Amino acid sequence: MSEAFDVIIGLEVHVELKTASKLFCCCSTAFGAPPNSQTCPVCLGLPGVLPVPNSEAIRLAVRSALALNCQVRPFSKFDRKQYFYPDLPKAYQISQYDQPLAEFGWVTIHPSGEEAKRVGIRRIHLEEDAGKLNHLGQRLGDAVGSLVDLNRAGVPLIEIVSEPDMRSAEEARLYLTELRAVLSYLDVSDLRMEEGSLRCDANVSLRPHGYQGSLEELPRVEIKNVNSIRNVQRGIEYEVVRQADMLKRGERIVRETRGFDDSTGRTYSQRSKEEAHDYRYFPEPDLPPLRLSPEWIEAQRTALPLLPDAIRRDLRSRGIPDKDVEVLVLDREAYEYWKDAAQAFSDDRLIVNWMLSDVSRLIHLRGETFATATVRPAQLVELLKLIQEGTLSGRMAKDVLEAMFETGQDAQALVKQKGLSQITDEEALMQVVNQVLETHRHVVADYLSGKEKALAYLVGQVMKLTRGQAKPDLVNRLIKEAISGSQAVSS
Amino acid sequence: MGLTDHEIQHVARLARLRLTADELPVIRRDLNRVLEYVSQLQTLDLANVEPTMHVVKSETPLRHDQVEPSLPVLEATRNAAQVEEGMFKVPRIMDSEGGGAGE
Amino acid sequence: MSNRLWTEEAVRLHEMFVAGKVSCEEIVQDHLEHLAAVDPGIGAFLHVAADQALAQAKEADRWSTEERQMRPLSGVPIAVKDNIVTQRMPTTAASRMLEKFYAPYNATVVEKLYAAGGILMGKTNLDEFAMGSSTEHSAFHPTRNPWQRDRVPGGSSGGSAAAVAAGMVPIALGSDTGGSIRQPAAYCGIVGMKPTYGRVSRYGLIAFASSLDQIGPMARTVRDAALLYHVIEGPDARDATSLPLTASPPTRSGPWRIGVPREYFQEGIDPRVGDVIDRYLRRLSDAGHEIRDLSLPHTRYAVATYYLIAPAEASSNLARYDGVRYGFRCDARDLVSLYERTRDEGFGPEVKRRILLGTHALSSGYYDAYYLTAQKVRTLIRQDFDAAFNAVDFVVAPTTPDVAFRFGERDDDPLKMYLGDIYTVTANLAGLPAISLPAGWVDGLPVGVQWMARPLFDNALLDAAQAAEALMPPFQFPQEVRE
Ligand SMILES: [Zn+2]
Repeated sequence: MSEAFDVIIGLEVHVELKTASKLFCCCSTAFGAPPNSQTCPVCLGLPGVLPVPNSEAIRLAVRSALALNCQVRPFSKFDRKQYFYPDLPKAYQISQYDQPLAEFGWVTIHPSGEEAKRVGIRRIHLEEDAGKLNHLGQRLGDAVGSLVDLNRAGVPLIEIVSEPDMRSAEEARLYLTELRAVLSYLDVSDLRMEEGSLRCDANVSLRPHGYQGSLEELPRVEIKNVNSIRNVQRGIEYEVVRQADMLKRGERIVRETRGFDDSTGRTYSQRSKEEAHDYRYFPEPDLPPLRLSPEWIEAQRTALPLLPDAIRRDLRSRGIPDKDVEVLVLDREAYEYWKDAAQAFSDDRLIVNWMLSDVSRLIHLRGETFATATVRPAQLVELLKLIQEGTLSGRMAKDVLEAMFETGQDAQALVKQKGLSQITDEEALMQVVNQVLETHRHVVADYLSGKEKALAYLVGQVMKLTRGQAKPDLVNRLIKEAISGSQAVSS
Repeated sequence: MGLTDHEIQHVARLARLRLTADELPVIRRDLNRVLEYVSQLQTLDLANVEPTMHVVKSETPLRHDQVEPSLPVLEATRNAAQVEEGMFKVPRIMDSEGGGAGE
Repeated sequence: MSNRLWTEEAVRLHEMFVAGKVSCEEIVQDHLEHLAAVDPGIGAFLHVAADQALAQAKEADRWSTEERQMRPLSGVPIAVKDNIVTQRMPTTAASRMLEKFYAPYNATVVEKLYAAGGILMGKTNLDEFAMGSSTEHSAFHPTRNPWQRDRVPGGSSGGSAAAVAAGMVPIALGSDTGGSIRQPAAYCGIVGMKPTYGRVSRYGLIAFASSLDQIGPMARTVRDAALLYHVIEGPDARDATSLPLTASPPTRSGPWRIGVPREYFQEGIDPRVGDVIDRYLRRLSDAGHEIRDLSLPHTRYAVATYYLIAPAEASSNLARYDGVRYGFRCDARDLVSLYERTRDEGFGPEVKRRILLGTHALSSGYYDAYYLTAQKVRTLIRQDFDAAFNAVDFVVAPTTPDVAFRFGERDDDPLKMYLGDIYTVTANLAGLPAISLPAGWVDGLPVGVQWMARPLFDNALLDAAQAAEALMPPFQFPQEVRE
């Protein structure tokens, strides 16, 4: 389609804030409790109840907004968004309409091989989550009924609305990944898409080249409630092809809401926006406006942690390759792991190499994460120090690391226990070298005739005999010396 | 210009009220009488007038993020007509019925 | 001991109880007997909690003198309007929608009544969800005016007003959104006060129009009203619109500058009511107060403003009654039918009318013209009062343009009914405190006079009202309830 259209993508991301209690009542927000066990008169929407905002939710929302480069409004207000649905106890959601908490932010994305690009954030507002419907039956339409659990009703959310600045599914993926990374460093949310603490709706439209109208007027399709970043990307990819085909066939694209089917990778029509809800927003009379002092907002800004872009700069300045930097930055746990290790060990790159290869492989194998890894950063550092000192070869260190994961023991202890340590005694090693040269005379001859590979073979033989405990560069040197020495004698 | 039956039915749908054919003329008459009466507000010049959304207080208080005990499930669901597995039961939801979390 | 304890003021009952002259059980028993004798002809109560009240009384009788003294309502029977949530009694809002509703919590004011030692006698009738001014729109039964039984007691707090006027309780709680305390107080010849918006917690008051609703006291004397008011006022952490404790503005002991808004005496007022108020004002003047003519020019827009804001908020507040979690439910095969049938059968016609009006006023394309416009006019009405209170201490005017009307008289035309609220809605729109006091009679029916003060001047208002009570002492009981 690149020949005829631009792809226009905007994302709406809902993030559940990590508060102990709900936005307007004192019920717990803990995930996974028995249905309706975390409800009270307020979040059940009983007659006579009133909301009182949770200060921590406001703090986390402001923190998020500042980290996303938004301007936080010193004056914002709450509004009622009204629609009937069984997961919405009061038949209105307390949200923010025309004076949201924050506006005018951005996220920088880093498409590979291209320049960094800013994706605008139009607004961030606070609102309460709805409850959960459990449909009896396969799908909504076939269900004989639904069961309503209001444990999630009233959990604080922020909605982050991007500008329609993304031009491909890949950019949408990068935006989401970056957004999630930024939020992860803030400790504002669990960010678990599978538990619904991070949710994404994607608005996709195609703009024919030469189109003069506004983006708002383009027929827009909203893909709702996709449960992973990968699926957001897939849904957009599918939608772009579907809409392009329609345009090519001369069909009109209707403004509608579509779902995404994970198993087929397709989007399907849910309802047409033309009969859209009339939400009848109006200012929440039960809540006077929210006023935040500029001093308080500044204090929140000062309290922000190091964020991905600053972390990137730092890691690059330490000579860590871009590819590895990205892996670390986008996984806060990995970055924290690295940071802890780097405090006690000077070779930043060596840490990264080990983390992203062997440590990473082992934690995945064991179903751990960097945060829960059996081998803690200090233990990894100890292992790396043994390599640096020459006590262990890289080969040996891999085995030790595996043993560390299995037993939870420190490297030192394992080395002692197994009698491992690299042979650094040149005399002892020389005996083995001589033995190898003796038994592989033809290889020595090959080497002397100029076959460099023969040397590696000889080194390998020595390593084998020493069960890997020899230091390869030392072996290399000793073999060379031995061969040149014997030549000198014979000539 | 008063509201037509069609417009009143639209409003009724928004409010999830069902109006019967005999109710409609009475409702239309009553609503239009009131709307005609309130239309006198349109004669005022309100260009530079701020609305009064909150009459006395201008700032919301906030509460501490502290968990307090919720209601026991039996208490929370005690008033409901149909409960299954501790949850409120509703009949089938047609595809056309919108709504849902994070609207 | 007098067997006519029911005729006593709350303040007196409390004194007698503290002094040990009478037991709480005797007080409650006497009121229950009187209630049982007169309420069948009046219908003030939706629920009488006789057993609970007696149990409470017996417990109170075990209190020491100090404990009785510490609790300002000990020994005092109280009725509560049935749109205020009570855990141990039904709470119906006089709607079929909540006929079988059980509340798992108490309204803040109810907690305060219990803490103050008050005896809760039961729940009083109202227009469904407080929407009306006659108590005819109760889903269960109408309440009759104790003075003339073929007339309405006013509304929506008609049950509380009638109960107090007939001596079933000395004091009661009402709620006032556009005059629902003051108008029935006027019609029933008692005292009824709407405090400054935010002075009394709304937590547990079933919302009608959130930005206008206030709970307030109803009593036969000002000092009883003040007693109840001081128990229920104060900030509440559960109500974000409740006001923080502020030092009560100083009260001038008088003479006062009293403003009389000329707009409250123009077209629509029953001239006989106008005469009563004129005589009342003359007595004020004779007592040395300065009477000033003043103008509240936007008064004529108040009813229109009110009948946009209140229904709009009501349409939102009443959306939660959907049959899913509580309340009336009409079973259906799909969700939309469940909603529509439940709400169609659960709500009465006046409630539905206001929901439709309010939904329309907020709907797409109409919000600016209706709701937003009304909120702007509200600013003008408020500014009228700001200007007035720069020149005077209090504004005094009739509470209603008329006296209690006959049943069915205003059924056919809702607009006519709405226009009866003209003098009371302004206080709600401006958030200011207002109190209705007995002012005189027209053909054996009480006429009320309304005193208004600037916001937060609730205490000053009560002090002035009490001083003014000397000019027009509290009425005796209607003949029929005197046995
Ligand atoms: Zn709750």
